[in-house]
Amino acid sequence: MGKIIAVHSYKGGTGKTLLSVNLAATFAQHGKKVCLMDIDFRAPSLYTILKMGKVEYWLNDYLNGTCEIDKVLIDISDKIHSNGKLYVGLANPATEAIREMSAKDRKWEMRALGRLLALRNSLLDGKGFDYLIFDTSPGLQYSSINSIVVADLVIVATTLDRSDVDGTKRMLHELYELFEKKSEIVLNKVLNDFSSKAFKEEMQTKMKDIYMVPVLGIVPCFCDILKAEGGIIFANERQSHPFARILDEIATKIENNVK
Amino acid sequence: MSKQEVLGKKPLQILEKIRENLERLNEKIEVMIELQKHGRKDIQTIPEAPLDVMTLLSMPDHLRKTAMTVCKLGRATAEEIAQQTHRARAVESAYLNQLVIMGYLKKERKGRKAYFYVDRENQEG
Repeated sequence: MGKIIAVHSYKGGTGKTLLSVNLAATFAQHGKKVCLMDIDFRAPSLYTILKMGKVEYWLNDYLNGTCEIDKVLIDISDKIHSNGKLYVGLANPATEAIREMSAKDRKWEMRALGRLLALRNSLLDGKGFDYLIFDTSPGLQYSSINSIVVADLVIVATTLDRSDVDGTKRMLHELYELFEKKSEIVLNKVLNDFSSKAFKEEMQTKMKDIYMVPVLGIVPCFCDILKAEGGIIFANERQSHPFARILDEIATKIENNVK
Repeated sequence: MSKQEVLGKKPLQILEKIRENLERLNEKIEVMIELQKHGRKDIQTIPEAPLDVMTLLSMPDHLRKTAMTVCKLGRATAEEIAQQTHRARAVESAYLNQLVIMGYLKKERKGRKAYFYVDRENQEG
Protein backbone atom coordinates (compact mmCIF):
# COMPACT_ATOMS: atom_id res chain seq x y z
CA MET A 1 0.00 0.00 0.00
CA GLY A 2 1.30 3.45 -0.96
CA LYS A 3 2.24 6.25 1.38
CA ILE A 4 1.64 9.98 1.59
CA ILE A 5 4.61 12.21 2.43
CA ALA A 6 4.25 15.88 3.34
CA VAL A 7 7.36 18.05 2.97
CA HIS A 8 7.01 20.97 5.36
CA SER A 9 9.10 23.57 7.19
CA TYR A 10 8.71 26.37 9.69
CA LYS A 11 10.35 29.02 7.56
CA GLY A 12 10.41 29.67 3.84
CA GLY A 13 13.47 29.02 1.70
CA THR A 14 14.56 25.90 3.57
CA GLY A 15 14.45 23.76 0.42
CA LYS A 16 11.03 22.09 0.53
CA THR A 17 10.44 22.30 -3.21
CA LEU A 18 14.00 21.26 -4.04
CA LEU A 19 13.64 18.23 -1.76
CA SER A 20 10.14 17.37 -2.98
CA VAL A 21 10.99 17.49 -6.68
CA ASN A 22 14.24 15.56 -6.32
CA LEU A 23 12.74 13.01 -3.94
CA ALA A 24 9.89 12.40 -6.39
CA ALA A 25 12.37 11.98 -9.28
CA THR A 26 14.50 9.62 -7.18
CA PHE A 27 11.52 7.45 -6.26
CA ALA A 28 10.59 7.29 -9.95
CA GLN A 29 14.14 6.21 -10.77
CA HIS A 30 13.68 3.44 -8.21
CA GLY A 31 10.80 2.25 -10.39
CA LYS A 32 8.03 3.68 -8.24
CA LYS A 33 4.80 5.31 -9.32
CA VAL A 34 4.89 8.77 -7.78
CA CYS A 35 2.65 11.81 -7.70
CA LEU A 36 4.12 15.17 -6.74
CA MET A 37 1.62 17.80 -5.63
CA ASP A 38 2.08 21.53 -5.18
CA ILE A 39 0.11 22.33 -2.02
CA ASP A 40 1.77 25.74 -1.72
CA PHE A 41 -1.17 27.73 -3.03
CA ARG A 42 0.28 31.00 -1.71
CA ALA A 43 3.47 30.73 -3.72
CA PRO A 44 3.18 27.94 -6.30
CA SER A 45 6.49 26.83 -7.82
CA LEU A 46 6.13 23.45 -9.53
CA TYR A 47 4.51 24.96 -12.62
CA THR A 48 7.68 26.97 -13.27
CA ILE A 49 10.25 24.50 -11.93
CA LEU A 50 8.90 21.69 -14.12
CA LYS A 51 8.54 23.99 -17.14
CA MET A 52 4.93 23.05 -17.72
CA GLY A 53 2.96 24.22 -20.73
CA LYS A 54 -0.76 24.76 -20.91
CA VAL A 55 -2.59 23.41 -17.86
CA GLU A 56 -6.31 22.76 -18.02
CA TYR A 57 -7.09 21.76 -14.44
CA TRP A 58 -5.31 22.70 -11.24
CA LEU A 59 -5.29 21.22 -7.76
CA ASN A 60 -7.24 24.37 -6.88
CA ASP A 61 -10.11 23.00 -8.98
CA TYR A 62 -9.98 19.60 -7.31
CA LEU A 63 -10.08 21.15 -3.84
CA ASN A 64 -12.88 23.45 -4.93
CA GLY A 65 -14.81 20.34 -5.89
CA THR A 66 -15.19 21.35 -9.53
CA CYS A 67 -13.29 18.42 -11.03
CA GLU A 68 -11.99 14.94 -10.21
CA ILE A 69 -8.33 14.31 -9.43
CA ASP A 70 -7.73 12.40 -12.71
CA LYS A 71 -8.22 15.63 -14.64
CA VAL A 72 -5.56 17.42 -12.57
CA LEU A 73 -2.74 14.91 -12.78
CA ILE A 74 -0.25 15.35 -15.59
CA ASP A 75 2.08 12.51 -16.58
CA ILE A 76 5.60 13.91 -16.80
CA SER A 77 7.38 10.53 -16.83
CA ASP A 78 9.01 11.37 -20.18
CA LYS A 79 10.68 14.43 -18.62
CA ILE A 80 12.68 12.18 -16.33
CA HIS A 81 14.42 9.13 -17.68
CA SER A 82 13.32 6.40 -15.30
CA ASN A 83 11.69 3.01 -14.96
CA GLY A 84 8.97 4.46 -12.83
CA LYS A 85 6.13 6.92 -13.36
CA LEU A 86 5.97 10.53 -12.30
CA TYR A 87 2.76 12.53 -12.24
CA VAL A 88 2.27 16.05 -11.05
CA GLY A 89 -0.65 18.04 -9.62
CA LEU A 90 -0.10 21.78 -9.93
CA ALA A 91 -1.17 24.81 -7.94
CA ASN A 92 -2.37 27.71 -10.05
CA PRO A 93 0.30 30.45 -9.97
CA ALA A 94 -2.00 33.22 -11.25
CA THR A 95 -2.25 36.10 -8.78
CA GLU A 96 -6.02 35.92 -8.80
CA ALA A 97 -5.96 32.21 -7.95
CA ILE A 98 -3.56 32.87 -5.06
CA ARG A 99 -5.82 35.63 -3.79
CA GLU A 100 -8.85 33.37 -4.03
CA MET A 101 -7.12 30.50 -2.17
CA SER A 102 -5.96 32.84 0.61
CA ALA A 103 -9.50 33.97 1.30
CA LYS A 104 -11.07 30.56 1.95
CA ASP A 105 -13.04 30.07 5.16
CA ARG A 106 -12.97 27.28 7.76
CA LYS A 107 -15.77 25.31 6.15
CA TRP A 108 -13.97 25.29 2.82
CA GLU A 109 -10.76 24.16 4.53
CA MET A 110 -12.70 21.36 6.22
CA ARG A 111 -14.00 20.18 2.86
CA ALA A 112 -10.51 20.52 1.37
CA LEU A 113 -9.25 18.23 4.14
CA GLY A 114 -11.92 15.73 3.12
CA ARG A 115 -10.77 15.88 -0.52
CA LEU A 116 -7.12 15.42 0.44
CA LEU A 117 -8.09 12.46 2.62
CA ALA A 118 -9.99 10.98 -0.33
CA LEU A 119 -6.73 10.83 -2.35
CA ARG A 120 -5.68 7.83 -0.28
CA ASN A 121 -8.59 5.96 -1.77
CA SER A 122 -8.54 7.35 -5.28
CA LEU A 123 -4.78 7.41 -5.92
CA LEU A 124 -3.06 4.99 -3.54
CA ASP A 125 -5.71 2.26 -3.57
CA GLY A 126 -7.42 3.07 -6.85
CA LYS A 127 -4.51 3.91 -9.14
CA GLY A 128 -1.72 2.06 -7.39
CA PHE A 129 0.52 5.02 -6.63
CA ASP A 130 3.46 4.17 -4.35
CA TYR A 131 4.01 7.70 -3.09
CA LEU A 132 2.15 10.99 -2.99
CA ILE A 133 4.46 13.85 -2.15
CA PHE A 134 2.94 17.11 -0.92
CA ASP A 135 5.13 20.17 -1.33
CA THR A 136 3.56 22.52 1.24
CA SER A 137 3.65 26.17 2.36
CA PRO A 138 5.93 27.04 5.27
CA GLY A 139 4.53 27.59 8.75
CA LEU A 140 1.05 27.07 10.12
CA GLN A 141 -1.01 27.48 6.96
CA TYR A 142 -4.33 25.73 6.57
CA SER A 143 -3.27 23.90 3.41
CA SER A 144 -0.06 22.72 5.07
CA ILE A 145 -1.76 21.48 8.23
CA ASN A 146 -4.37 19.72 6.07
CA SER A 147 -1.51 17.98 4.27
CA ILE A 148 0.15 17.02 7.55
CA VAL A 149 -3.08 15.51 8.88
CA VAL A 150 -3.39 13.39 5.73
CA ALA A 151 0.30 12.33 5.56
CA ASP A 152 1.90 9.12 6.82
CA LEU A 153 5.27 10.82 7.10
CA VAL A 154 6.21 14.49 7.51
CA ILE A 155 9.64 15.47 6.24
CA VAL A 156 10.66 18.68 7.98
CA ALA A 157 13.19 20.72 6.03
CA THR A 158 15.24 22.88 8.34
CA THR A 159 18.44 24.91 8.41
CA LEU A 160 20.81 25.93 11.21
CA ASP A 161 19.31 29.42 11.28
CA ARG A 162 18.36 30.14 14.91
CA SER A 163 14.84 31.30 14.28
CA ASP A 164 14.30 28.25 12.07
CA VAL A 165 15.64 25.85 14.72
CA ASP A 166 13.44 27.43 17.37
CA GLY A 167 10.31 27.45 15.25
CA THR A 168 10.89 23.92 13.98
CA LYS A 169 11.27 22.66 17.55
CA ARG A 170 7.98 24.27 18.51
CA MET A 171 6.22 22.88 15.44
CA LEU A 172 7.45 19.37 16.18
CA HIS A 173 5.95 19.42 19.66
CA GLU A 174 2.94 21.63 19.15
CA LEU A 175 1.81 20.49 15.72
CA TYR A 176 3.11 17.14 14.45
CA GLU A 177 3.08 15.57 17.90
CA LEU A 178 -0.52 16.59 18.54
CA PHE A 179 -1.54 14.82 15.34
CA GLU A 180 0.67 11.86 16.29
CA LYS A 181 2.58 12.18 13.02
CA LYS A 182 5.76 10.34 12.21
CA SER A 183 8.14 13.20 11.44
CA GLU A 184 11.77 13.22 10.35
CA ILE A 185 14.26 16.02 9.83
CA VAL A 186 16.28 16.96 6.76
CA LEU A 187 18.92 19.50 7.69
CA ASN A 188 19.66 21.60 4.63
CA LYS A 189 22.28 24.19 3.64
CA VAL A 190 24.99 22.99 6.02
CA LEU A 191 28.16 25.00 5.36
CA ASN A 192 30.90 23.00 7.09
CA ASP A 193 33.19 20.56 5.38
CA PHE A 194 31.25 17.45 4.63
CA SER A 195 33.99 15.09 3.64
CA SER A 196 34.65 13.93 7.19
CA LYS A 197 32.47 11.14 8.49
CA ALA A 198 33.06 12.32 12.06
CA PHE A 199 31.51 15.71 11.31
CA LYS A 200 28.48 14.08 9.75
CA GLU A 201 27.98 11.84 12.76
CA GLU A 202 28.44 14.73 15.17
CA MET A 203 25.79 16.67 13.24
CA GLN A 204 23.37 13.73 13.35
CA THR A 205 23.70 13.46 17.14
CA LYS A 206 23.34 17.21 17.58
CA MET A 207 20.16 17.26 15.48
CA LYS A 208 18.66 14.33 17.36
CA ASP A 209 19.36 16.08 20.67
CA ILE A 210 17.75 19.31 19.50
CA TYR A 211 14.67 17.89 17.82
CA MET A 212 14.22 14.45 19.44
CA VAL A 213 13.13 12.95 16.12
CA PRO A 214 15.08 10.88 13.58
CA VAL A 215 17.34 12.67 11.08
CA LEU A 216 16.54 11.56 7.57
CA GLY A 217 19.40 13.38 5.93
CA ILE A 218 21.94 16.18 6.10
CA VAL A 219 22.40 18.24 2.95
CA PRO A 220 25.37 20.59 2.46
CA CYS A 221 24.98 23.97 0.82
CA PHE A 222 25.81 23.39 -2.85
CA CYS A 223 26.77 26.33 -5.03
CA ASP A 224 25.81 24.19 -8.05
CA ILE A 225 22.23 24.17 -6.86
CA LEU A 226 22.15 27.95 -6.50
CA LYS A 227 23.82 28.33 -9.90
CA ALA A 228 21.20 26.12 -11.52
CA GLU A 229 18.55 28.74 -10.54
CA GLY A 230 15.93 26.06 -10.05
CA GLY A 231 16.27 24.91 -13.63
CA ILE A 232 17.82 21.48 -13.09
CA ILE A 233 16.43 18.39 -11.40
CA PHE A 234 19.71 17.04 -10.05
CA ALA A 235 18.27 13.63 -9.18
CA ASN A 236 17.50 13.28 -12.86
CA GLU A 237 20.02 15.28 -14.87
CA ARG A 238 23.11 15.05 -12.62
CA GLN A 239 22.80 11.66 -11.01
CA SER A 240 26.45 11.54 -9.98
CA HIS A 241 26.24 14.88 -8.17
CA PRO A 242 26.63 14.53 -4.36
CA PHE A 243 23.19 16.11 -3.90
CA ALA A 244 21.56 13.44 -6.08
CA ARG A 245 23.39 10.77 -4.11
CA ILE A 246 22.14 12.16 -0.78
CA LEU A 247 18.60 12.16 -2.17
CA ASP A 248 19.08 8.55 -3.19
CA GLU A 249 20.08 7.68 0.40
CA ILE A 250 17.03 9.53 1.75
CA ALA A 251 14.67 7.80 -0.69
CA THR A 252 16.11 4.40 0.17
CA LYS A 253 15.73 5.10 3.88
CA ILE A 254 12.07 6.01 3.36
CA GLU A 255 11.43 2.92 1.23
CA ASN A 256 12.87 0.75 3.97
CA ASN A 257 11.23 2.52 6.90
CA VAL A 258 7.79 3.56 5.79
CA LYS A 259 6.10 0.28 5.28
CA MET B 1 -55.34 -8.50 21.82
CA SER B 2 -54.09 -8.63 25.39
CA LYS B 3 -50.59 -7.60 26.39
CA GLN B 4 -49.74 -11.20 27.09
CA GLU B 5 -50.58 -12.16 23.51
CA VAL B 6 -48.32 -9.45 22.11
CA LEU B 7 -45.51 -10.62 24.32
CA GLY B 8 -46.15 -14.18 23.28
CA LYS B 9 -46.02 -13.27 19.60
CA LYS B 10 -43.02 -10.97 19.49
CA PRO B 11 -40.89 -11.51 22.53
CA LEU B 12 -37.68 -11.15 20.56
CA GLN B 13 -38.59 -7.85 18.95
CA ILE B 14 -39.68 -6.42 22.28
CA LEU B 15 -36.46 -7.49 23.94
CA GLU B 16 -34.52 -5.97 21.04
CA LYS B 17 -36.40 -2.71 21.49
CA ILE B 18 -35.63 -2.71 25.21
CA ARG B 19 -31.96 -3.35 24.51
CA GLU B 20 -31.84 -0.56 21.96
CA ASN B 21 -33.35 1.88 24.44
CA LEU B 22 -30.98 0.74 27.14
CA GLU B 23 -28.04 1.28 24.81
CA ARG B 24 -29.17 4.80 24.05
CA LEU B 25 -29.60 5.45 27.74
CA ASN B 26 -26.16 4.00 28.35
CA GLU B 27 -24.61 6.32 25.77
CA LYS B 28 -26.20 9.32 27.43
CA ILE B 29 -24.89 8.23 30.84
CA GLU B 30 -21.41 7.72 29.34
CA VAL B 31 -21.44 11.25 27.97
CA MET B 32 -22.52 12.61 31.35
CA ILE B 33 -19.76 10.67 33.10
CA GLU B 34 -17.15 11.94 30.62
CA LEU B 35 -18.34 15.50 30.94
CA GLN B 36 -18.05 15.25 34.72
CA LYS B 37 -14.59 13.68 34.49
CA HIS B 38 -13.19 16.49 32.40
CA GLY B 39 -15.05 19.13 34.39
CA ARG B 40 -16.69 20.53 31.27
CA LYS B 41 -20.33 20.77 32.24
CA ASP B 42 -20.65 23.84 30.09
CA ILE B 43 -19.56 22.37 26.77
CA GLN B 44 -20.51 24.72 23.99
CA THR B 45 -22.89 23.47 21.40
CA ILE B 46 -22.40 24.96 17.98
CA PRO B 47 -24.80 23.58 15.41
CA GLU B 48 -22.80 22.28 12.45
CA ALA B 49 -19.43 23.52 13.65
CA PRO B 50 -16.79 22.85 11.00
CA LEU B 51 -14.26 20.21 12.05
CA ASP B 52 -11.28 21.88 10.39
CA VAL B 53 -7.61 21.33 11.29
CA MET B 54 -7.37 24.45 13.48
CA THR B 55 -10.34 23.16 15.50
CA LEU B 56 -8.66 19.76 15.75
CA LEU B 57 -5.50 21.46 17.03
CA SER B 58 -7.34 23.36 19.75
CA MET B 59 -9.22 20.32 21.06
CA PRO B 60 -8.21 18.51 24.24
CA ASP B 61 -5.94 15.54 23.41
CA HIS B 62 -8.48 12.83 24.24
CA LEU B 63 -11.09 14.28 21.89
CA ARG B 64 -8.60 15.06 19.11
CA LYS B 65 -7.60 11.43 18.90
CA THR B 66 -11.21 10.36 18.42
CA ALA B 67 -12.03 13.18 15.98
CA MET B 68 -8.91 12.46 13.89
CA THR B 69 -9.85 8.81 13.63
CA VAL B 70 -13.35 9.67 12.42
CA CYS B 71 -11.76 12.01 9.85
CA LYS B 72 -9.55 9.19 8.60
CA LEU B 73 -12.22 6.50 8.52
CA GLY B 74 -14.87 8.81 7.12
CA ARG B 75 -17.73 7.03 8.79
CA ALA B 76 -17.42 4.64 11.69
CA THR B 77 -18.99 3.03 14.75
CA ALA B 78 -17.58 3.44 18.25
CA GLU B 79 -16.30 -0.13 17.96
CA GLU B 80 -14.33 0.66 14.78
CA ILE B 81 -12.87 3.82 16.32
CA ALA B 82 -11.88 1.88 19.46
CA GLN B 83 -10.00 -0.63 17.32
CA GLN B 84 -7.88 2.19 15.86
CA THR B 85 -7.26 4.13 19.07
CA HIS B 86 -6.81 1.07 21.32
CA ARG B 87 -9.17 2.53 23.85
CA ALA B 88 -12.34 0.95 25.24
CA ARG B 89 -15.46 1.07 23.09
CA ALA B 90 -17.45 2.71 25.91
CA VAL B 91 -14.82 5.46 26.18
CA GLU B 92 -14.89 6.13 22.43
CA SER B 93 -18.66 6.08 22.47
CA ALA B 94 -18.64 8.77 25.14
CA TYR B 95 -16.13 10.94 23.26
CA LEU B 96 -18.00 10.50 19.98
CA ASN B 97 -21.27 11.54 21.55
CA GLN B 98 -19.54 14.49 23.15
CA LEU B 99 -18.28 15.54 19.69
CA VAL B 100 -21.84 15.21 18.38
CA ILE B 101 -23.12 17.47 21.17
CA MET B 102 -20.38 19.97 20.32
CA GLY B 103 -21.62 19.98 16.73
CA TYR B 104 -18.48 18.57 15.09
CA LEU B 105 -19.83 15.13 14.20
CA LYS B 106 -23.11 13.78 12.93
CA LYS B 107 -24.64 10.56 14.17
CA GLU B 108 -26.86 8.23 12.23
CA ARG B 109 -28.53 5.04 13.38
CA LYS B 110 -28.81 2.00 11.14
CA GLY B 111 -30.64 -0.71 13.08
CA ARG B 112 -28.76 -1.23 16.29
CA LYS B 113 -25.56 0.37 15.04
CA ALA B 114 -24.74 4.05 15.41
CA TYR B 115 -22.43 5.57 12.78
CA PHE B 116 -20.48 8.75 13.34
CA TYR B 117 -19.22 10.97 10.51
CA VAL B 118 -18.09 14.46 9.55
CA ASP B 119 -20.78 16.17 7.54
CA ARG B 120 -18.49 17.91 5.05
CA GLU B 121 -20.65 18.23 1.99
CA ASN B 122 -23.86 19.49 3.52
CA GLN B 123 -22.28 22.49 5.13
CA GLU B 124 -22.67 25.53 2.97
CA GLY B 125 -19.58 27.68 3.10
